[in-house]
Amino acid sequence: MTKQQADLYKQGTLELLILRLLSSTNLNGWDIMQRLQLASGEVLSVTPGALYPALHRLEARGLISSTWRPSDNNRKAKFYALTTRGRKQLEAQRKEWEQFSAAVSLILRDA
Amino acid sequence: MEHELDEEMRFHLERDIEQNIKSGMTPEDARYAALKSFGGVDQSKEECRNARGVELIEYTVRDVTYSLRVLLKSYGFTIVVILTLALGIGANTAIFSFANGILLRPLPYPQSDRLVVLDETALKRGVNSMSVSYPNFLDWREQNTVFEDIGTYYGTGRFSLTGAGEPVQIRGSRISHGLFEMLGVAPQLGRTFTANEDRPEEDGVVILGHDLWQRTFGGDPNILGKKITISNRARAVIGVMPPGFRFPEVSELWVPLALTTKMFTRTDHGLQSIARLKDGVSLPQAQSEMNNIAARIEEQNPVTNEGLGVNVMSLHQYLSGDYREGLLILLGVVGCVLLVACVNVANLMIARGSARQKEFALRSALGASRWRIVRQLLFESLLLSIVGGALGFVLSIWALRLLLSAIPFQLPFWMNFNVDLRVLGFSIGITLLTGLIFGAAPALQTSRIDLNDTLKEGGRGSAGIRTRARSLLVVTEIALSLVLLVGAGLMIQSFLRLRRVNIGLDPKNVLTASVVLPQAKYREDDQRAAFFKQLVERLRNLPGVEAAAATATLPLSGGNWGRSLTVEGYPVLSVGQAPAVQHTVVTPGYFRTMGIALLAGRDFTDADAKDSPNVTIVDERLVRQYWPNENPIGKRVRFGPPEDNEPWHTVIGVVSTVRHQRVQEDTRQSVYLPHQKIPVTGMALVARTSSNPTDFAGAIRREVAQLDPDLPVSQIATMEEVVAESIWQPRLYAALFAVFAGGALALALIGIYGVMAFLVQTRTHEIGVRMALGATARDVFKLIVGRGMKLTAVGIVIGVCGAIALTRWMQSLLFNTSTTDPITFVLISFLLSLAAFFACYIPARRAAKVDPLVALRYE
Repeated sequence: MTKQQADLYKQGTLELLILRLLSSTNLNGWDIMQRLQLASGEVLSVTPGALYPALHRLEARGLISSTWRPSDNNRKAKFYALTTRGRKQLEAQRKEWEQFSAAVSLILRDA
Repeated sequence: MEHELDEEMRFHLERDIEQNIKSGMTPEDARYAALKSFGGVDQSKEECRNARGVELIEYTVRDVTYSLRVLLKSYGFTIVVILTLALGIGANTAIFSFANGILLRPLPYPQSDRLVVLDETALKRGVNSMSVSYPNFLDWREQNTVFEDIGTYYGTGRFSLTGAGEPVQIRGSRISHGLFEMLGVAPQLGRTFTANEDRPEEDGVVILGHDLWQRTFGGDPNILGKKITISNRARAVIGVMPPGFRFPEVSELWVPLALTTKMFTRTDHGLQSIARLKDGVSLPQAQSEMNNIAARIEEQNPVTNEGLGVNVMSLHQYLSGDYREGLLILLGVVGCVLLVACVNVANLMIARGSARQKEFALRSALGASRWRIVRQLLFESLLLSIVGGALGFVLSIWALRLLLSAIPFQLPFWMNFNVDLRVLGFSIGITLLTGLIFGAAPALQTSRIDLNDTLKEGGRGSAGIRTRARSLLVVTEIALSLVLLVGAGLMIQSFLRLRRVNIGLDPKNVLTASVVLPQAKYREDDQRAAFFKQLVERLRNLPGVEAAAATATLPLSGGNWGRSLTVEGYPVLSVGQAPAVQHTVVTPGYFRTMGIALLAGRDFTDADAKDSPNVTIVDERLVRQYWPNENPIGKRVRFGPPEDNEPWHTVIGVVSTVRHQRVQEDTRQSVYLPHQKIPVTGMALVARTSSNPTDFAGAIRREVAQLDPDLPVSQIATMEEVVAESIWQPRLYAALFAVFAGGALALALIGIYGVMAFLVQTRTHEIGVRMALGATARDVFKLIVGRGMKLTAVGIVIGVCGAIALTRWMQSLLFNTSTTDPITFVLISFLLSLAAFFACYIPARRAAKVDPLVALRYE
């Protein structure tokens, strides 16, 4: 894999992970980062420099929407939510990912 | 979009820092770590923004909206602060408007600063100011080179206006020609008086005030040339003055001087004089020229003008002089109240600052400069003071109305208390100043806190500094309140003493009313003598009236009649040196009606009439001076300039001394003369009644109307009201002092309570430890109260020193009361300590109830 490909791969993964996190609740950028870290058992970590552009891309594609409202520390924060299109996209990508990962596992096990 | 991105990034960074701090990093480290993990992109952003001028406006807007949000959220605090400020600023604006209307506003005439009053003086006799005689006035007009113009007039008098409905008394004045021209006011209709009309045979003319013209004549545009009846004399209306114009004081009707031969004697002092300085001539220049002229007149008329001088004084100073000192002191007093309010608010701000330490620590960790935080806090204080100031301004309008209603007479024309630019400017000025004063100290203090300590120790670290600062503020408050309370105590004591003064008569159950007979209808002495004799008899016969009489000058109502006194057997003094006595014309029964004690001899009777021997009754003080060891009955005195050789009067009685001019002091010895002998036109009726005297007002009117239906009755009041009104100024000052000092005291107590409560709250842990180590509830109670009382004691010591230094300015307002009156000082200090004790009591009780276990676990 070239560097570019790896980034693309990671990028796709990151977007999928974001959509997944937002499917259960609305979150702001910082929360998303914390949960990514927690949920992956500190294995996956993402920098703000990668996260925010991803969020803004998803928003531009209409997969997520955003609103400003107070967070639990009473400061206003931008909260993201999944749109209907985003939900469909999440379903489609998850299937794709499962098929893909099943295929990869299969090959890795059998080989 | 760029802005949103910024906000989003900032939020992220804040959360990172918060978390880093929670995990034990110092704020600097936390910030550094957060920025590092963020990639350092934004690190430079804040600095770049600070460097850009445009952002300053955006920041300001953001700071203001942020401040608003913060203040709205803690509305309890906000309301307390705004009300405190509103009261402080309101009181100041009200008193300033009052002072402005009297001391600062120019008089309502063109170039009014050029107008001066000319008084005669007889300094050798201790007379600083007396009325002017017409011949002297003529010489001044002839000889001076410093005045553009000079006019003369008689003080406000009463005229009856009949023929237009009920007879009414109008306040008016006799004036010389050219007076209005000199004032620079032209009539709205018609013309003013000509030189010719100063002569009595030409004086059948009158000028009306605008208000009177509207009120009584419905603003009739064809009024000029019409004849109206003024004091039973038909006069042609020749002019109407413009709206708002009155002169002097409240006069709104003017007739010519009507020079009589008597007025051409230099000893007849009765006129007022006013002049306009030429351009470029200063007051001292005018004074020095008038000194020369007075010396020249004295040289030419050594008998009549011996020792007489002239005093030139600006008209404004002449009018406002009586009020000046009191107003300045009041301004100082309300200023103090505002200062106490500021200190109190500063105290609250500091307390609140401690609750907000984390907020500021975080912002500062995020890179906000100290200046930015100070600015943020100042915005908050300014917002508070602006809202408080606006509310205070509204309050002041209402307070001023209340204040003016305490003044018992019609305000002179020149006092104008409408809001002008000066009042507005003052109000805005003190509002902003207030915001800065109470905002600056807490802002600097809050922003100085050590971030490390704050965030790590949860706010306990700097509580000590805060308590010290707040203690200092409390000491200031106590000291200022003590000064105000001592001032109030002195004023109240002085006022109470004034009320207890024995004025020499019994004002209870006495009704008074004024009747002035028109000269034209009651031309003959006999007519006037008969009228009052008959009227008094009628009053005496009314059921419920125990005694009735009349006097030409009612005590304490401002009426005076001074005459020179010559006592038989004592050297004859010139008019310039002879003592002046209060010359009171009364009807028989006056002393009994007024409750004035007849100490020797007899009262006047109806037999003391036109052709009977000249008799007089004198007061005790006069007897003490001239016949201390002799029987005064049968001694002889005479009045007026010695060269006039007026007839001798035999003393037939002695009465107790009456405080005629002022409750504060006996100014002149008094002599009384019977009205039958000197039948003056204007008399004050007095009636002693067996029940509520005001019930008899209608009866008096009826009796007067039965004798003469055209005669107006005015100034109906009880004698108690007359006495009370004569001391309205000390009463008003005492009341204002009490209100302001009470307000300051309340604020100071709230302040000390707040600090002690804060102390208990921040030292709960320590108190718990103490109790765990064996301190009893009593010890803890004593600890807290002791602390509070120590602050109070320091405040009181400073306050006492301040009061001693400051109250001496009040001396002129005090009556028989020393500014260092020890009783007042001790009593006020004691009361203040007692009040402070109760303010400490509640927090101390709370401290004593601390459960050591809970206190220790809590931390």
